[in-house]
Amino acid sequence: MDKSFIQELFKANNITVGTNRQHLFDAFVNEEKNRLAVKLIMENKKLLMDTWQFKNRLADIQQQPVSIPNATAGKPYEVKLDFAQLNWNDFSYFHIEGLEESGLQYDPETKVIRGTPVKSGDFKLTLKYRINGEDEASAPNEKKVPLVINPNPKSLWKNMESDKNDPYWKEDNVAIYAPLGDRHLLAASKRGRSHANTGGFREDDFAFKHFTDTGWSVLVVSDGAGSARLSRAGSRIACNGIVEYFEQHFTPELRSTFDALIATHTAAPGDKTQKELTRFVYDNLGKAAFTIHKKLEEFAATAAAPVKDLHSTLIFVLLKKYESGYVIMSFGVGDCPIALINKDFSDIALLNRLDVGEFSGGTRFITMQEIFKSDTFATRFGFRLVPDFSYLMLMTDGIYDPKFEVEANLEKLTEWKALLEDLGGKNDDNVKVDLASHTTETANQLSAWMDFWSPGNHDDRTLMIIS
Amino acid sequence: MRRLPVFFLLDTSGSMYGEPIQALNNALSGMVNTLRMDPQAMDSLWLSIITFDREVKELTPLVELANFQLPEITCPQSGPTHTGYALEFLHAKVNSEVRKGTPTQKGDWRPLLFLFTDGKPSDLQLYRKMIPLIKELNFATIVGCAAGKAADNGMLKELTDTVVHLDTADSATLKQFFKWVSDTIEQGNKSMGTTEQVTLPPPPNEVNLVI
Repeated sequence: MDKSFIQELFKANNITVGTNRQHLFDAFVNEEKNRLAVKLIMENKKLLMDTWQFKNRLADIQQQPVSIPNATAGKPYEVKLDFAQLNWNDFSYFHIEGLEESGLQYDPETKVIRGTPVKSGDFKLTLKYRINGEDEASAPNEKKVPLVINPNPKSLWKNMESDKNDPYWKEDNVAIYAPLGDRHLLAASKRGRSHANTGGFREDDFAFKHFTDTGWSVLVVSDGAGSARLSRAGSRIACNGIVEYFEQHFTPELRSTFDALIATHTAAPGDKTQKELTRFVYDNLGKAAFTIHKKLEEFAATAAAPVKDLHSTLIFVLLKKYESGYVIMSFGVGDCPIALINKDFSDIALLNRLDVGEFSGGTRFITMQEIFKSDTFATRFGFRLVPDFSYLMLMTDGIYDPKFEVEANLEKLTEWKALLEDLGGKNDDNVKVDLASHTTETANQLSAWMDFWSPGNHDDRTLMIIS
Repeated sequence: MRRLPVFFLLDTSGSMYGEPIQALNNALSGMVNTLRMDPQAMDSLWLSIITFDREVKELTPLVELANFQLPEITCPQSGPTHTGYALEFLHAKVNSEVRKGTPTQKGDWRPLLFLFTDGKPSDLQLYRKMIPLIKELNFATIVGCAAGKAADNGMLKELTDTVVHLDTADSATLKQFFKWVSDTIEQGNKSMGTTEQVTLPPPPNEVNLVI
């Protein structure tokens, strides 16, 4: 060993040992002093190599990108550090500092960071570690790693008052109960968190009227577009406008024409009577819708604003009880559903086609001229004659987005059962709307129920229930 | 849950090397922190960061704000600006990742695109070929940002009507710009007509709207 080392050393330095000097070389190799020198060189070489390997490893660890998933204040968090995947199996010691105030703890046994963060912010964590072979008494190495703790979204919402001096101001929350002939109306409309957060206005609206002398009821709901500057005015004009239209234009002559139509239809239903009824709905509800369109155009002109500033969806229903049953006529533009649930809760019918685009928020409004020209205009009307019903509901997307999520679910009876159970108190906040009792208190319960929490759904909410 | 997908296309060509890239990193970090304080953004915003120089890199695939971790953006010391290639990459990403509404799937809000550059496309032919294809994707808004003297406003104008010019790409200016970007993002999740553009908030002094 020693001999070959010295031979290599000499060779590398062009020192040759002549054949006649072999004896002398052997003696040189065996000299105690020289053997010791070789041993020291070998040890130092190993030390150099080991030290380099160690430094190299530390540098690798320092440069290694380590990302710890973000946490959210108030939300339970549990993340396991996968030492094998991180290639940290050579760690003899590991600890995390910097979690102290966050509400999270690191458990060295399971290598898990867990807890429920109590505050948010950008935390700088210090990973303290030693790798195998390092002196246990030495100060551990350090690596800084960021940890983001998001604020709790619930805590971020502000509730700022809307400006009461605004010419188009409307109340942030309204709730009302009213008898509707032999049925009952319950309605609530509530400013969404997204508007409350910025001191914005409620853009939804509703209106209704029961004509005691004739037995007719008119029910209207409208959703002002979030992107339209004056849509709060648009939705109000649309709702009140529909009620006014039928106050003025649903004349005794028209009503008796209709009564006669229904009588004929009930006595001998057929294609002809069906067509005449459809025609009646198309003419009268169509005229009402177009009147609103015109009204909004006029309003835009006086307010010196483009009509698109008033973009609003519109659904409305005319309801009357006949001997043969309830007549329900409807019109709809936009993405607000009108749903009719039969007496024994075995069937649900959607009375209008929803205008839903391929992107969220893309819909059609009563302010758009093209809806009256389109081939689909005729499909916006509905006519039903039903012996009885359990619920008739009109709602804006602020309700249907969180409760039904997608259009297809609106046609599922189970989803409507779930909504009724939800209203009945089966919800996170245990808020119960006592639909069987018909009082103003019930309306307030409905309004309270509407505060339900649903991530990502913070639009205005409007729900009208006829039971 | 409705997502608002927001894509950032960031120029990391050689001219961004040094102070500008530092400023960009700082400004992005500021923007993300601002957005994290916005409950609406926390609930709906999804972000993607794509950089382009000679190569196009998807530094962060579309991820929700709550899980978003800002990557360190770096750039080579020299090299071309492959804006066209970046648009081509983006086109594929939008088609595969942005969800369209169907009766059984909630559609995303219309996506937003912010393109930040301090030069002009080196791959002009591809850039011009991609422009109509990008327009077809129906973004709720495309904001082109030209930073510094060498940035070509005209080129960006071919892509979008909304072009802003920053005189310099220093820290203070970029910070203002990205503050405005976050204000713009906050406009993105509202009901509107199917093809209307997002109404942009008024830009700060440092940000000049190119007419």
